[in-house]
Order: sequence, then structure tokens, then C-alpha cells
Amino acid sequence: MAWNEPGGNRNDKDPWGGGNRGNEQGPPDLDEALKKGMEKLNKLFGGKSNSNGGSGGQGNGSSAATGGIFVIVIIGLLILLAVESVYTVNERERAVVLRFGKYAETLGPGLQFKLPLIDRVEKVDVTRVRSAATRGHMLTEDENIVEINLAVQYVVKDPKAFVLDIRNAERTLDYATDAALRHEVGSSELHQVLTEGRSVLAVRTQERLQRSMDFYHSGLQVSKVNIESTQAPAEVQDAFQDVQRAKEDEQRVKAEAEAYRNKVVPEARGMAQRILEEASAYKEEVIARAEGETSRFLKLLSVYEKAPEVTRERLYIDTMQRVMSKSSKVLVDVEGGNNMMYLPLDKMISSTPSVSSSSPSRSVTTGRLSSDEIGSLTDRVLQELRTRQSDNTTRRGRQ
Amino acid sequence: MSPKAIGILFVALIVLVIGSSAIYVVPETQSAVRLRFGELVENEIQPGLHFKAPLIDEVRKFDVRILTLDVPERQYLTIEQKPLVVDSFVTWQVGDVAKYYKSTSGDETRAVMLLSSRIDNGLRDQFGIRTMHEVISGQRDELMHELTKAMNAVMTKEFGISIVDIRIKGIDLPQKVSSDVYRRMRTEREKEAQEHRSKGRELAEGIKADADRQKTIVEAEAYRESEVTRGEGDEIAAQIYADAYNKNAEFYSFYRSLLAYEDAFSNKGDVLVVDPESDFLKYLKQSQGQKK
Repeated sequence: MAWNEPGGNRNDKDPWGGGNRGNEQGPPDLDEALKKGMEKLNKLFGGKSNSNGGSGGQGNGSSAATGGIFVIVIIGLLILLAVESVYTVNERERAVVLRFGKYAETLGPGLQFKLPLIDRVEKVDVTRVRSAATRGHMLTEDENIVEINLAVQYVVKDPKAFVLDIRNAERTLDYATDAALRHEVGSSELHQVLTEGRSVLAVRTQERLQRSMDFYHSGLQVSKVNIESTQAPAEVQDAFQDVQRAKEDEQRVKAEAEAYRNKVVPEARGMAQRILEEASAYKEEVIARAEGETSRFLKLLSVYEKAPEVTRERLYIDTMQRVMSKSSKVLVDVEGGNNMMYLPLDKMISSTPSVSSSSPSRSVTTGRLSSDEIGSLTDRVLQELRTRQSDNTTRRGRQ
Repeated sequence: MSPKAIGILFVALIVLVIGSSAIYVVPETQSAVRLRFGELVENEIQPGLHFKAPLIDEVRKFDVRILTLDVPERQYLTIEQKPLVVDSFVTWQVGDVAKYYKSTSGDETRAVMLLSSRIDNGLRDQFGIRTMHEVISGQRDELMHELTKAMNAVMTKEFGISIVDIRIKGIDLPQKVSSDVYRRMRTEREKEAQEHRSKGRELAEGIKADADRQKTIVEAEAYRESEVTRGEGDEIAAQIYADAYNKNAEFYSFYRSLLAYEDAFSNKGDVLVVDPESDFLKYLKQSQGQKK
């Protein structure tokens, strides 16, 4: 019967009403079967075919035959009743029973009995997890647009309400899901929806949806709302990604700076170490030199004190010999300060074999003194000659 | 079986037919009215088995479950004249069966059309007195509640329909408005990105400057330390020299000068202009040396 189609909830499900009863499988089929049966029986008893279904079998069929037909009809009806009054309810289902159209009871799984033609049974699957999904662009509280994918899982909690109180509960749930989600998104900020606020959003949407469904007597229980994705709309996706990149840039630049710091500071410490080491090397060096030089001097001194005159003379002459043999000399044999004397010093110097000079003002490559230098040199020589006090007049080159 | 029996059976059949048209069943999901010659005689017939006079009574049944109606998308203007495309749905049920039958003659399609147009008007009014922000966020509940209440009053009075709930399942911005929104979103993101980058640079600059500061300080301190050390070296060396040379300062001066001369005139580039009167050359002119 149409009543027993699970899930379907069409408006014309009334088995008694004047709706379309095109799929009745009860009495008409039975009549057919009976007719056929009777005809067969009649043939069996040698009677002719009787198309009047027993109503007009006067004299043709024997009374025994008629009785037989009756018995068969009765038996058939009994079987039919028996079949009609027993049904099974699966473990997953609950059966909502209507007696004379009125709600009677809801039965659990097992073999159940009903009054044929009076009880109507509607079986509802109560364990199957049903699901709905929605997606779309919606507005947030701060008037941004966000794109959300969401899935809902739900079960039938109250089969009675599911069958009797609402038409097409599942479609209603689809609509209510959209409404609840948009409502919650509309009272959240974009940033929240895109980040850590997602789970909160899911919970609040579930609560709101459940309230709606209870309010509609849908008999549905929402078991889970899962927000599969929240993202900025495609039109501004790149700007959002750029923010991510900017965050990474921030970290990167910071890391680079830290790398710089980690390089420079230790290097500076190394340099400091070097400076200190050099200083202490210098200290040791000057002390060592001082000790060396003084001990040399003291040794010489001890000898000198034994024979001062001779030692002094010897030292002097030795040194002068070394000095004179290494450097160029000009002997000027004049009596006191003829300052008109001309010394072609530049010539003299340039004619000397070119050896590396210890004087810093004269590079080896020029090999010549400038006229200024020569002038000043000459002046100094003359002055030296004039103001000579000791007998050994020497003149050093430039310092 | 006699013909008489067959007759009885026939009569029974007739009785059954007539009887069956005298009883009717109203299922749990429905409510019914009974009409006699088209006149309403019984209202709000509860689910169960009922009797009626055959042939002269007519029973009309209506679904009294909660029904869901998807109201078509329409565009409404908010108080600041911003257009919004609103998609809503309404849940309703037949409340007063008699009134419902009279006003719509039980035709659900007609009821739905009435409902749609009324809700359309209701939404238009509600949106027209609110700003876009109010509609989207804070006042959605309030808006729907008011609308439901107002609609419910009217529909119950006129059509016997009670409105359970009206809900908005979608508010979308028309193309022009949404492109404005996108532009704003983009600008905000760009601002944020810029902020991050600048902040990164700021931090980096600070870190580098700090590094340079440390470097300078470390090196300066090292320099100070090294100068102290060098000074100590110089001090000790000078002390050593002084201690030694004070033993015979005159001789030291002589000795040290000799070393200096030797060091100073050490190559052919140095020209010495020598007076033959000098000590070194005293025997150059005369074997006896010159008198000082």
C-alpha cells in the first residue's frame, strides 16, 4: 500500500481518501486470483467456464463445486488476512502505527502484528546518518564576503514527529541550514571566520539549526556540523595570499637581520681578542727589547769603566768607519763660513749609484731631489758649517 | 449454495458499499471539514474513524503538518537605498481549517501564492526601515521575529494559516555592490600586507643597529684595554732603560748616538758633507791630529 512506502511523504498518501490509488495491490488482485481459481475449479469438475464469479451458476455447477469454491474463497481470505496482519521491523527502523488514521504507537524492531485494513504502518530508518551540504558566498558582520562549504549530518530522532508533524523534514533542514549558517556568519567577523573562529562558527550553527528543527517538530537530530572550508572569494584571493606572503617576508627579513647580528657580533669579539693579543704581544716585546738592550749596554759599560778613553775612541772610530763606508761623502775644506760655496748636490746625488734610499721622501724611481729640497739642504749644510761647535760635523738626510 | 444465498450475498455487498461510504478516516497528518450540500457542518475533525451521511455529505481533508515554502529570491532596498538580493523560506501550517477552506477552497497552490506575495511585501517593509548592517548582522533575529508576528496575525485572521517561522537563507549583494565590497576587502588586505612588511623591516633595522652597536662597543673596549696593556709595557720598558742608563748617562748618550748614526747613514743615497776638521778626520791632514 502506498502508506508503507518509507521515506516518501507525498500529499496524496491517504489510502482511504479519493486520491490516486493506482498502485493498490489488495482486493483487485485478489478478485482476479479468485476468478481464475474458480474457473480452473469449474473446469476441473467438468463445468463450463463461469465468468459471473459464482453469482450465476444456477444448475450448471454442482452444489459440491459451489461449496468448494466457497471454502477456497474463505481460505484465501484467511491467508490474506494472516499475511496482512504480520510484518517485520528491521533493527534499524521504527514503525509508526496509525489505527483508523489516529496515531497509536511506535514499535521497535522484530515481528509485529497489526489489524489488517485498519492499521497503517510507516517505517522510518532511525539509524542511517543522513547528510546535507551547502556552500556559497555570504556576508560577514564587517560587511566582507566569504565563501563557505559546510556539511551537516543528522539522524531521525523522533520518528513520530518526522512522519506526522512536518511534511518533508529533510528539505526543511536544507533551508534551515542555509539560514542558520548565514545568520551566524552575519554575526561574525571575516577574520574570525577565516581563522580560529571556524570551530566556534560550526558549533553555533549547529545549535541554531537544532533549535530551528525542534521548533518545526521535525524529529531530526543534528549530530554534526562540519565547516569544510572558509575562504576569501576568488576575486580577492590574491590579496589574501599576499598578506600571507607579507607575513613570511616579515619573518624572513627578521631572520636575515638576526643572521647579520650573529655574524657581526662574534666577529667583533674576535677582532677585540686580536687587538688585546697584539697589545699584550707589544708589551712583552718592548719589555724584552728593553731587557736585551740594557743588558748589552751594561756589559759594555762594565768594560768601558775599566778603560774609558780607549774604548770610547775605538767605539767612535768603528762606528764612523761603518757610517762613512756605507754613505756618500763630500769633504768641504773651507775656512769658516764661506756661504758663497756652491755644491751641486743634485748632481752628486744623481751620480751616485741608485740604491734604495732609506729616506722616505725620495722614491727610487725619481732618483732626484726637487729644487726646494736641494735649496733647504744647502742652507742647512751652510748653517751647520757656520754654527759648528763640535769637530765632527755631520748632516743627516731628511727625517 | 442456493440462489437465495447468493441473493443474500449480493445484498450484503450493497450494504457494505453504502456503509463504507458512511464511514471515513481522517489520518493523523490531516484535519477535515464535513460539508452537507456544500454547507460546512463540522469543523476541525480530529484524526480517527468518523461517520457521515452517505451521498449527501462531503468530507474535505487538509494537510495540517508543518509545510515549508521556498519564497522566490527578490531584490529589496535597505534604508540607505542599497539593493540586496534576499532568498527566504517560510514554514507554515493550516491553523483554522474552516477559514482555510473558505478562503482558498483547500487549494494549497493558491495558499502558497498568497503567502509568497504577502511575505514579499513584509520583507520589503522590514528591509526598508533598516540599514544594511542591521539586516546582515545584529538585527536578523529581530527582523524575522517582527515579520513573523505581523504576518502571522494577518494570515491567521484572513486565511486560517499560521506562520511558524520566516527565515532568510541568503542575502547576496548585486554585482555592483559586491565589486565595491571586493575593492574594499582588497584595499584592507593590501594595508595589512604593507604593515607586515614594514614591521619586518623595522624589526630588522633594530636588530642590525643593535648588532652594530655591540660591535662598536666591543671593539672600543678592546682598544681601551689594549692601550692600557701597551702603556704598561712602555712603562716597564722605560723603567728598565732608566735603571740601566742612569748608571752612566754620559756614556749612554755617546753609545746610543753611535748606534743611531750607524742606523741613520746606512746607504749611498745619504750624502754627508764633512768638515775635515771633524774628529774622525783629524789625522787626514796631519798625522798628529788637530788641537781642539
